[in-house]
Amino acid sequence: MNVPTKALLCTLPLAIGTLALGAVPAHPQRSEQQVFRASCAYCHDAGGWGTRTLARRVPAGEAELLKRKNLPADYTRFVVRRGVGAMPPLTPTDVTDEELERMARWLDQKN
Amino acid sequence: MVDPVPPRVSAAAFHMALAEFRKAVGQEWVFTDEDDRASYLDPFAIGDASEHASAGAVAPGTVDQLRSVMEAANRHKIPVWPVSMGKNFAYGTAAPKLKNSVVLDLKRMNRVLEVNERLGYAVVEPGVSFFALKEELERRGSKLWMSGPSHSWGSVIGNALEHGVGYTPYGTHAEAICGMEVMLADGSLVRTGLGAVQNTQEWQCYKWPFGPNWDGLFTQSNFAVVTKMGIWLMPEPAGMAGVAISIARRDQLPALIDVLQRLRLDDTINAPYTLTNAWRQLTSGRRRPDVYTGPGAIPRETVESVLSAAGSGWWNVIFNLFDRPAALDLRLAAITEEFSTHLPDARIKIQRWKRGDPQQPWMRQDVGLAPLAIVDWAGGRGGHTDLGPIVAPVGERVEQVYAAVEARFLAFGMDPWIGMFGIGNRALIMVADLIYNRDDADMVARCRELFRTLCDELAGMGIALYRSHITFMDDVVKMHAWGDHALPRLNNRLKDMLDPTGILAPGKQGIGSERP
Repeated sequence: MNVPTKALLCTLPLAIGTLALGAVPAHPQRSEQQVFRASCAYCHDAGGWGTRTLARRVPAGEAELLKRKNLPADYTRFVVRRGVGAMPPLTPTDVTDEELERMARWLDQKN
Repeated sequence: MVDPVPPRVSAAAFHMALAEFRKAVGQEWVFTDEDDRASYLDPFAIGDASEHASAGAVAPGTVDQLRSVMEAANRHKIPVWPVSMGKNFAYGTAAPKLKNSVVLDLKRMNRVLEVNERLGYAVVEPGVSFFALKEELERRGSKLWMSGPSHSWGSVIGNALEHGVGYTPYGTHAEAICGMEVMLADGSLVRTGLGAVQNTQEWQCYKWPFGPNWDGLFTQSNFAVVTKMGIWLMPEPAGMAGVAISIARRDQLPALIDVLQRLRLDDTINAPYTLTNAWRQLTSGRRRPDVYTGPGAIPRETVESVLSAAGSGWWNVIFNLFDRPAALDLRLAAITEEFSTHLPDARIKIQRWKRGDPQQPWMRQDVGLAPLAIVDWAGGRGGHTDLGPIVAPVGERVEQVYAAVEARFLAFGMDPWIGMFGIGNRALIMVADLIYNRDDADMVARCRELFRTLCDELAGMGIALYRSHITFMDDVVKMHAWGDHALPRLNNRLKDMLDPTGILAPGKQGIGSERP
């Protein structure tokens, strides 16, 4: 895999090594980059399944999502919750609405 | 559009339940809008995904919150469908068996509670994925290895509960379970095995306490929600060998199975093997239209000519051996001798690794999602499920079952994409994948009929399946007919006792499909 595993598990829990009950695991605020790495990069980085599929459908050089020139936020929002082609959807416990909103805008505006 | 309501529940009662769920877990962790409900549909549904739509989802973050949710569900008779990571691809993903159940999403309960280096185990919550456990082991500098399934998105608990398999000596994941904490439908909490002892330090050490071992009852069932689970982890081996064996001809299957079984029974091969047929080898690095664009399944002659041009055999077996380097030499010598005596034309490739070397892809220790790519095989919006008969690894028995499955797939115009997994020392799980284009209604309908036809045919041979998609659970449970369906009836009696309102995953594995 090309993605460093360190970056992948931002939801990784905090209270490690204890069997204490009752504490609510905090939901750490994740940046759009962290959300992308945790929930998208495994398929959408260089060599990923999503990238290979998109290579047949989008302009040359833009198969990796991070290199897409035109990726409207509304489209990302829709695809993440509904899935597209064989891409499964992500639930609001995978990526919260607020995280999705920020990531969708970031992908829209970054290129 | 009218908001969905669970079956046999009034809209008013459902709204009261949702209000109580929100009070229990917080407004932001109860999901009822259309986009959110869509995200819990099965993306690989074999038919209309709305047949298994949910009426919403609720995501508790703690055991206390879960208890409040269960109590509210009981009060208002709301069927709930627990999922851990909700990535049970090919078997329903997060979607409920009973339409308009509420998904009980446990992904927020995501702590790795303990990693015990000296005894080789971890205690995890349902929302710990294979990605997360691997990350946590690396963060701690642990010398324990996880046994992961083909893709890593799923939950460690969910996969073990669903009888998932991996590729290490701990690859029968349900057998690596030791000790659970479960919540019953009435909200009461129980710890199984030695977890029942105050101040135990042995909960994850031994599965056979005073009295029955209950862990197995909470796998592939709906008797409780598993909130914590011990899972045994393998100490890092001193060495590994990766073995790939290519066998030229279709008719060599019985001999191959018998050789593998002798080596598996005495643990010379000390981890599950993966045996792939010709059609399954075809997908490696190829797209279907590059191979065949005609009607129906790819003909055997086409498959054989492509494989022959690539220098591949009809069958391919891979497995890894785990031991000290000198002991690996002995194992490899025994394997080579067995093949040279009984299948002298087998082509054997061996790779080696020793502790301290960089890991290699053949070791299958990476986490990732690459295997999901196969769903694109049939084109369009891909989907897949599989038919997984459990077969005695005896040459003539495997040939009997394989021949029946291959013939039916071809007759139904589906590529017989089949892998076999040598699980444990005495079983083989034959996984026949149905890979379909969800935009092709005729193909999807054929796949449903093919699956049910094979259920009948296999039951006639005395064969049953290791798991199934939610669409087929009521079909598969009927394959267990001995004694006038005595075992399914026992399961239902237990269900009635433990969950008298029938709220917990009704119909899972065909248990409690008829709700009280």
